[in-house]
Amino acid sequence: MGKDRTQTRTLSGAAQAAYLRRLLEAHGNVPAAAREELLGALAREIAQLRVRSPAADALVRRPRSSPTKRRAAATGAQATRPPVPEPIGRDFDPFSPNVVLIVRQSGRGAALAALAAIDGIDKLRLLAHEQRLSINAELSSPAELRAAIVAAAERRIANRMAAAR
Amino acid sequence: MTQFLAISNRKGGVGKSTIAVMLAHAAAAWGRQHVLVMDLDTQCNASLMLLGGEGWQRACRAGRTMADYVYDRFDKVAGDESVYVVNAVGDVSHARTASGRVSLLPGSQRLEDIQGELYLMQAKKHLDADAVGVQVRGRMKRLMKHFGMLCDLVILDCPPGLSFAALAALDLADRVVVPFRPDFVSQFALDRVAMLIERVETSEQLASIPLGERRYRCLANYLTGAGHERLMIDQLAIDHPLLLTRLPVLASIARAFDWDESKKTMDQKYADALPYLRRLYAEVFTGTQLSAKSA
Repeated sequence: MGKDRTQTRTLSGAAQAAYLRRLLEAHGNVPAAAREELLGALAREIAQLRVRSPAADALVRRPRSSPTKRRAAATGAQATRPPVPEPIGRDFDPFSPNVVLIVRQSGRGAALAALAAIDGIDKLRLLAHEQRLSINAELSSPAELRAAIVAAAERRIANRMAAAR
Repeated sequence: MTQFLAISNRKGGVGKSTIAVMLAHAAAAWGRQHVLVMDLDTQCNASLMLLGGEGWQRACRAGRTMADYVYDRFDKVAGDESVYVVNAVGDVSHARTASGRVSLLPGSQRLEDIQGELYLMQAKKHLDADAVGVQVRGRMKRLMKHFGMLCDLVILDCPPGLSFAALAALDLADRVVVPFRPDFVSQFALDRVAMLIERVETSEQLASIPLGERRYRCLANYLTGAGHERLMIDQLAIDHPLLLTRLPVLASIARAFDWDESKKTMDQKYADALPYLRRLYAEVFTGTQLSAKSA
């Protein structure tokens, strides 16, 4: 038991969702509709998941990019949706700061300043993913990521304003 | 003086009928009010919750529905509205001596057709389409208002969309509760219904009305505890007045509306949803905010 415990990892949030999705996808006999229903139910019921490390590594690992995607990256084409970010420390809250809220209330400068406190690329990607802020998957510097996150928040706000007219 | 409370959102599936019936039960049981639920939705969910399928069918066969009332009375002077109302509905028991009770003006699947028919009838008399629309809506509002003489509180369970009935109800209501799910699409629906309720045409005009002075309050419903819900609620709170009460996804709320004609107490009916309903009732009707503990 003790040995097993040292070889486990705790997953939550996006990492947990990615793990469960790939676990179910590995079982090809589960129909897509049933799989989505199960994933929804599991997401509601499970707050944290402790899994054996090798299994988690295999299932949460970012998928290798295909030759097509590598070519697209080399030619500068933008990916529309970044892969699900890697799991990171439990102390990081990807819902804070609320980027859209800060941009609305205090402007882009304040949002960039709030994001400056987050220095890890993985954390910034996870924040963008959880806050549904679409950013280019190829960005690799924290400064670029922060700017892209704020730009995505501005697009969301503009979308909402346009719909209200 | 009779209060008119509308439960409205242009988006469907946000819990309008459930909230309408829960508040009706609460106002009757705890506020000892005579409550009339007016079912304006052609899905008739509030009617089915309060009468069951067979009871609703009986009301339809007897011509006791919103559609019958509007059709019969559109061109006539006010008569006895009580003949369209079904009394003592729902499965919550009230003490014999208590004045609190729930009545229902049942919904009808024919209401949309009848609104169209009334519009065409009026259009034959007038040429201007906008004027006809205003006339039909105004007449429906006056017809709804007549029920104020029968009870202490009228809860208008509005349909999604923008029918004449929905617009008339929003025009008539003293206050509006707007249930919503905190997701991407719901923010657009809230923005739009807010402009209708406040009778403005742009988001800038809406923003010029202080949150505390608006006729509506938004109610976050079906919460699962996911982080993005918190984000969305905080974002919406910039533009809209939100109730502090928030309703989680609860099996006991869903179970409360499985039709069962055996009478129950509020505790039995709402089980672990009862503290949430107490908070909602207090906030909507008395303006007080109960903490989770005191509820």
